Amino acid sequence: ERERGGSGVRERERGGSGVRERERGGSGGGPCAEARAGAKMLLVLAEEHKEHLGFLTRVDAAVVGEFCRIAVEFLKKGSNPKIFEGAARKLNVNTETVQNGVEGLMYLMTESSKMMISEVDFQDSVLVLGFSEDLNKLLLQLYLDNRREIRQILSELAPDLPHYHNLEWRLDVQLASRALKQQIKPLLTLKLHLEQNGRRNASVFQTDPATLLHLIRKLEQALNEMKTNHCRRIVRNIK
Amino acid sequence: MRFRFCGDLDCPDWVLAEISTLAKVSSVKIKLLCVQVLRDLLGDGIDYEKITKLTADAKFEPSDVKATVAVLNFILASAAKYGVNGESLSSELQQLGLPKEHAAALCKSYEDKQTALQDKLKESSLRLNRLGSVSWRVDYTLSSSELKEVNEPVVHLKLNVQNVDTGALEPTVALVSAVKFRVLLTELKQAQALMNALN
Repeated sequence: ERERGGSGVRERERGGSGVRERERGGSGGGPCAEARAGAKMLLVLAEEHKEHLGFLTRVDAAVVGEFCRIAVEFLKKGSNPKIFEGAARKLNVNTETVQNGVEGLMYLMTESSKMMISEVDFQDSVLVLGFSEDLNKLLLQLYLDNRREIRQILSELAPDLPHYHNLEWRLDVQLASRALKQQIKPLLTLKLHLEQNGRRNASVFQTDPATLLHLIRKLEQALNEMKTNHCRRIVRNIK
Repeated sequence: MRFRFCGDLDCPDWVLAEISTLAKVSSVKIKLLCVQVLRDLLGDGIDYEKITKLTADAKFEPSDVKATVAVLNFILASAAKYGVNGESLSSELQQLGLPKEHAAALCKSYEDKQTALQDKLKESSLRLNRLGSVSWRVDYTLSSSELKEVNEPVVHLKLNVQNVDTGALEPTVALVSAVKFRVLLTELKQAQALMNALN
């Protein structure tokens, strides 16, 4: 987790009109959030986003609580459009209004969690919406309770490259072939299992001991890089 | 410190840490736990409920139960891998801090199954695709579109290769003329002679 508030790191993010693809929920059609850093990091909410969230002021506290719960559920497990219809019927409003309200909440949560903004900054950002004191408190609590888990979900959305799963090896000695009898040729057969997006595949390689030693030396050099002053300085500053 | 059951390398830190967890269970239970872990290593599946029952007395958390299974799995598999006998294993485990009775119980279970375990490990060593079966047929070609009287024998050879990843049999079919077949047979017989000489 990185605490960016107050470290002097500038971060600007422009949503633009492009649709941000998210696997789990999020408002379609992109109201954008702009985060300006320095001493404070505020979420600047787009007009459309504010309108969507404005719906929350027109319903009573119990309903808002329910919407908050639904929003977090959707972030964790994916959205279920039928819930919007049910709620819309009960409240006597447009399905679209309910959907925008919930998705607006989800977006507020993900943007806040993404930037890891502090309590104070969150409260100030939400102040702009003109909600009641209670609603502000509720939203703050929702953010603080769920931000860790939301961040974990967001981290899983990063592109997945093939990564190591398993390595099998076998040492053989070739004694003869059709062309040449009486040989002694050591061979190492490796099977590297990789995993990407839940799918596994394996590659088979063969090498002689000299190349293997070279490979090991190179990998050890790579590991030793972590111990150099340069890397240590960077790792220390990340913490 | 170097240990033979770790392949003359240092014992991993996590194994060291979990030895003390092992000591919390009674030595009789250790033997029964080993039986379960050995069943899993030999491919017969593991009865997780039995293990939870056995560790219930020691009031293990779920993470402790998993750690116990993991450390027993490591010790038994590693000892079989490096061909360590029961006595050496027992003395090395005692050096790591496992009480004498526990070490003795563990090593008794290990010795009972050592050969079976090593055979199973040999079987699961890396193999590429292997030959499943061979089938053949000898035909006699009478005539063809090119030549009126051919009168030649020909062998249909079908090799079923078992793909090691999917387990499916993939057939490869080849038509071998008499001359080529004789060459193939001679070469394979030479290879067989070499293999027998090594056996």
